[in-house]
Amino acid sequence: MALKRSGTKYDIFTKIALVLVVAIVFFLIILPLLNILIYSTQPTGSAIITNAFSDVVIRQILWNTMKLGLTVAFLGTLLGFIMAYTQARVEFRGKKVLHIVNLVPIISPPFAFATAVIVLFGRSGIITRGIFDWRPTLYGYTGLVLVLTLSFFPIAYMNLLGMLRSLDPALDEAGSSLGASKWRIFRTVTLPLLIPGFAGSFLLLFIESIADLANPLIIGGNYTVLASRAYMAINGDYDIPMAAGYSFLLLLPALLVFLVQRYWAQRKSVVSVTGKPSGRPTVVTSRLARFFLLSVTFLLTSLIVLVYATVVLGAFVKIIGVENSFTLEHFRYLLGGFANAAVRATTFLALMATPLAGIFGMLIAWLVIRKVRRGSEALDFLGMLGIAVPGTVIGIGYAITYNDPVKIGGVTVFPQVAGGAAIFGGAIAIVMVYIIRSSPAGQRSGISLLQQIDPSIEEASASLGASGGRTFRLVTLPLISGALLSGLMYAFAHSMTTLSPIIFLVTPDISILTQKILAEADQGRYGNVFALCCMLIVLIMVIGGLINLLVRRFQVSTDRPLVTGR
Amino acid sequence: MAKTTGKLELRALTKEFGNGSEKVVAVKELSLTINPGEFVTLLGPSGCGKTTALRMVAGFETPTSGQVLLDGEDLSALTPDRRPMGMVFQSYALFPHMTVFDNIAYGLKVKKVSTAQIKKEVGEILDSMNLAHLTNRAPNQLSGGQQQRVALARAMVVRPKVLLFDEPLSNLDAKLRAQMRIEIRSIQRRLGITSIFVTHDQDEAMSLSDRIVVMRNAVVEQSGTPEEIYRRPSSVFVADFIGRSNFLSVAEVKKGASRKVTVEASGVKLKVNAHPKALKSAHPHLLVRPESVSVKKSSSSSKSRKANEGVVKNVVFYGNHVEYSIDTPTQTIAAVVSDPVYDEIVPVGAVAKIDFDESRAWLLPSDSAVITSEE
Repeated sequence: MALKRSGTKYDIFTKIALVLVVAIVFFLIILPLLNILIYSTQPTGSAIITNAFSDVVIRQILWNTMKLGLTVAFLGTLLGFIMAYTQARVEFRGKKVLHIVNLVPIISPPFAFATAVIVLFGRSGIITRGIFDWRPTLYGYTGLVLVLTLSFFPIAYMNLLGMLRSLDPALDEAGSSLGASKWRIFRTVTLPLLIPGFAGSFLLLFIESIADLANPLIIGGNYTVLASRAYMAINGDYDIPMAAGYSFLLLLPALLVFLVQRYWAQRKSVVSVTGKPSGRPTVVTSRLARFFLLSVTFLLTSLIVLVYATVVLGAFVKIIGVENSFTLEHFRYLLGGFANAAVRATTFLALMATPLAGIFGMLIAWLVIRKVRRGSEALDFLGMLGIAVPGTVIGIGYAITYNDPVKIGGVTVFPQVAGGAAIFGGAIAIVMVYIIRSSPAGQRSGISLLQQIDPSIEEASASLGASGGRTFRLVTLPLISGALLSGLMYAFAHSMTTLSPIIFLVTPDISILTQKILAEADQGRYGNVFALCCMLIVLIMVIGGLINLLVRRFQVSTDRPLVTGR
Repeated sequence: MAKTTGKLELRALTKEFGNGSEKVVAVKELSLTINPGEFVTLLGPSGCGKTTALRMVAGFETPTSGQVLLDGEDLSALTPDRRPMGMVFQSYALFPHMTVFDNIAYGLKVKKVSTAQIKKEVGEILDSMNLAHLTNRAPNQLSGGQQQRVALARAMVVRPKVLLFDEPLSNLDAKLRAQMRIEIRSIQRRLGITSIFVTHDQDEAMSLSDRIVVMRNAVVEQSGTPEEIYRRPSSVFVADFIGRSNFLSVAEVKKGASRKVTVEASGVKLKVNAHPKALKSAHPHLLVRPESVSVKKSSSSSKSRKANEGVVKNVVFYGNHVEYSIDTPTQTIAAVVSDPVYDEIVPVGAVAKIDFDESRAWLLPSDSAVITSEE
């Protein structure tokens, strides 16, 4: 019997929720994208698109973007797999600590990596020059690959770790009972079963790396990619149609790859669901394999620790590597007026967006899995657009759309929310961006959790007389509150650290921490950058912890089995 | 206590899934009237449409056509939460985040019953179902049987006019299942709630029901009391689905003076009862249940045996009964001899004489005849 019930009429709650969701998605993402398309047809915009392959400069930018995306996707997936395999199949001390260290890059500000890597491995790097007397050029392709791989490999790590853990250990046992060696089982059973996971991770990393704007701006040097070129079109050429043109070139492969990735992700669910795992996964015992896996793991983990040590130390010394005397002057400068307003605004706006993004994501998940019959795929896709579309494109789309009131036939259907002249100094546009960028995470975890909850639990509620809204509140929401929590945490951390869409929306009245960090990095004031990163990380940890406590108070424990029968 | 409300009518209820070439008819023109307090079982193999039918009654599926009427009122426009029905699910569907008490109180809270009243009613039902000691447990701390009882209590405490059971016992072990059958039936009798029970287990259907509705390929094959279904099945399918059967090919069908029919099966003339359509059928079958076959040792050798004798192919001794399969010249006959006499079991390879109890035999039309006559 299919998990989703077909045939019930939509109740009033479902209808309202559907209309609401579609309206929100329209204004938060569809309309800005439509405007990108419209603007890119203007002369300077369409020139970019039509000459994409004939113009040497544009072709080079396109190639740079693809090359970067492919390299990072390959290296990140490989590293993610090695780390995940070590975590799942090798026994050693300090596993849990390692797991946390591997996840840290996901929620940290991207500049932390780029600046720390420059300080450590750049032309006058503490390690490269200080220890090896070697002066490599980091700005450009090499630096970008290094920084982006470090930043994004955790995505592949989590993805593949989940798959490795869901593989039925009986498969390995069956293989060895048929006489296959461990290496042979690894080659012929484990790897083939993980292919969808590899593909999925590769595509996700590709999207993330071609969409990234912060790192190309800081460490890209002359290596121009589509995202940084579109940014320059706005902030250097002051040519909006041109920016729309580059945005279009970036949007196309991003959306295409996103669609392919969804296809792979759906195949994954077919492969990995093998029923209840029984027995214990086999452990790697070969000394050679252990040595290799643990060395890579150790090196990568040390690198991450080193980067964060640099960030923290760098915040408390004058100029790290040059003048290593303790000082609080960076913090004194930042909190003496430079960053106060940004800290307040960023935290406040992120806090505004967090619950909205969490609930919005959950609502879509619930509609997709439980309620909508025809077009649930499309709804799911609409909800994910916020993460599929590169932040740069969203930012430019918002700037085009919301710097004036949205009018249809002369009637204002949506007020001006972006730009200094807008209400609240353009803060609403920033909150909107936070919501649409963060809700997909809640949506994904909500969907995977709802798929595990027996639909008859909700039907039982209905048959006992509870209406659709009541069932959602009393039964569904408590059951998915675990996913809601992780969605909220992610939403908050992501909002606090996001840069690419925000950079187009900051105004004299509303400045945002990540944009302050970029400004300081541009000026080469790395001490301030590190101090800002530290403040950001502390803010995320403290407020994230508070959100955690708050939600847990209202949450029922979800460690009980949610799946009964069937 | 006899109830006067709770009369359920299904009128030409039809459900189609998909469209175009992929269209599947799950339930085809199901019409059924269930009297107040009656316990009706929908029985059939998986995929026969029984669960879909139940879910249309509950309101979880919208019928493609047809109506569900409760005491004359059409329920079509009502969503599940507005229908006065309780449902017990195969997976129990207890709310995992609520205690036993909260699970049972849920429906009453939704109905805005006062807290004191909720406490009283939940307490009563917990007592009557021997669940009082589990009041504050979480569902995952209960055994399967206890979860089942809570699910039943939760559905009944709101005093629904109709109780719907979707294979509620299929996740329990055999012993517990038998025990829960008795419990469900006695509670249902006591409260007199109209009930529909969906199952693919014929024992469950026989032991619980006032009436059994056998379904096959989206249509009703036969509807009747358990005894009717067992003794007077309308088709080979029903006979085969309910209990074990021997189908003897018969020669020389003659209509007798009384209602009985004379047939020749395995070389013996028998006077048997017959389905009205059996006489029109080209190849009627004679249904003889294995327990209506008696087996005696024969002195014939396997070569000189008569038409009503056969070679024993297999014997299984179960203590209170013996099961034989015996090869006759025309077919293999299954026989069950209850309470066998010591030393009189016919061993494998020996020749046995078979007798059919003609008063319990039943002449059936062949299946193809039934289908053509219905179309």
